[in-house]
Amino acid sequence: MKKVIIIVLAVLFMIPVFWTITSSLKSMNEIYKYPPSIFPEKVSLEGYINVIEQSDFPRYLANTLFVAIISTIITVFLCVSLGYGLAKGIFKYKGFLTEVVIVTLFVTAQVIMVPLFVIIRQLGLMDSLWGLIIPAVFTPTGAFTAIQYMKGIPNEFLESAKVDGAGEWQIFSRIVLPLSKPLIASLSIFSFTWRWNDFVLPLIVINSGKKFTIQLALATLQGQYGIPWNEILAFSVMAIIPTLVIFLLFQNLFMKGISAGGLKY
Amino acid sequence: MIKRGIVESRFVFVIPGFVFHFLFYLLPIILMIILGFFSWDILSPMKFVGLKNFSDLMKDKWFWNSVVVSFKYTFLAVPIIFVISLLLGVLLQEEDTFSKVMRVFFYWPYMIPMVAAGTMWKWLFSRNFGLVNHILTRMGFQPVSWLDDPTLALFTVVMVQVWVLAGFMMMLFIVGLQAISEEFYEAASIDGATNFQKFWYITLPLLRNTNISVITLSIANCFRNFTIVYIMTTGGPGYATTVAPLYVYQKAFTDFRIGYASAGSLVVLLITFVIAFAVRRVQEGGEMEGAV
Repeated sequence: MKKVIIIVLAVLFMIPVFWTITSSLKSMNEIYKYPPSIFPEKVSLEGYINVIEQSDFPRYLANTLFVAIISTIITVFLCVSLGYGLAKGIFKYKGFLTEVVIVTLFVTAQVIMVPLFVIIRQLGLMDSLWGLIIPAVFTPTGAFTAIQYMKGIPNEFLESAKVDGAGEWQIFSRIVLPLSKPLIASLSIFSFTWRWNDFVLPLIVINSGKKFTIQLALATLQGQYGIPWNEILAFSVMAIIPTLVIFLLFQNLFMKGISAGGLKY
Repeated sequence: MIKRGIVESRFVFVIPGFVFHFLFYLLPIILMIILGFFSWDILSPMKFVGLKNFSDLMKDKWFWNSVVVSFKYTFLAVPIIFVISLLLGVLLQEEDTFSKVMRVFFYWPYMIPMVAAGTMWKWLFSRNFGLVNHILTRMGFQPVSWLDDPTLALFTVVMVQVWVLAGFMMMLFIVGLQAISEEFYEAASIDGATNFQKFWYITLPLLRNTNISVITLSIANCFRNFTIVYIMTTGGPGYATTVAPLYVYQKAFTDFRIGYASAGSLVVLLITFVIAFAVRRVQEGGEMEGAV
């Protein structure tokens, strides 16, 4: 009985995905047929082929990958380093700085997009892929996750390395980094996913079609007149696949892991 | 000895992070306050206008309408998210293979890009070609204009928000539920409690911290929603689904009233901060059950 309820709910949850996939496999004639068919009468890749050939899809893909990968590398570096400094360092105003990070946990691009736009413009990053990377590399959620994780590393490890004559940089690279593998994995996966999914920043930073990311291209496609829905849906399916693959590979990390990183930024 | 003190400070490690934090989190907030006192269309020079933006904002009926829409949206979505994610949490709290596999289906929508999620639902609720209306007409009902009717449109976008967030909140409930000791339930069984009584008198009160995290996180997430509405309705029909962040966006990037939009953002940010501080208070009051 319980299992039946769960399966019914799961089916309900997956209806939008199901309807998108089946519709994306219909030809243009079939997708505008009334009443609609549940499954495609004839499976057609028309939508996928048209969207790849006509919409510059490979370029959007390359742009998005570039942004997501470069951002992720910088994010991991910044957050791990800052987390270590705040968790294990001793300096004035440490508590205050930690508090400053936490206060901004709820500040997201949607809320500060107007001044963010002004800053990005002043830095000369408008309509550039770097304008999507640089403003997004530091995330309070990522930093908070790193601080919490670093607190869990026993001080004795650092002390004994120092007794053995290791310098500060050696302690970080030889002791702290290897101990932080789970943190680095979690930060990388979340960061890549959020950058891949990002929409608000591309919307305010990018103007020219050559610089579009996949999400921005998908949103723009819908605003254009006369683009058939089978192409829009084929595009949606392709926009989802990479994050689906990552999600299925690292489900445990997403669903349990270090939960603060799960907050969407 | 002096050298040792410097080495231990580890201050250098926080510098790179805080440079970015300052530039893209603190500076925007400062700038937002400053810009609020200026009139600026990006192209011509900025003009100091004192409190004019704020007094105009007070009189701007569509701005307050957007704040009300955001609140309606939030307080419609949050109770539904709460009930569904609690139900899913209760149903899927066991650590068996079936539960673990099924959790994936509910959590996954949270990982789907919001643009794609909005697009998929727009098609599902399409008046002429959507599956929902197809099923309704099959059952003998009239097709419904899900996104063209002012009242219904808000409900439709709320549904998408629920779909996106419920699985994430389910995971918070699962963590919370698993922390409740079996002994409470055993004791209640001996006293002859029904399943409902156990849920009402044991589970819910012991989930207090989780409940509060789920509610506050849901409120914060819903209140700043921008993308779902932008994709599905662009705020329409009329202003029926124009939430506050979308209104601010339009003022800034359609009308190029940067100063005015900054003043509006400031109000939205203040509301978000009130919510954030509420979360902090809760966090200090008890453990946060894996959230934040």
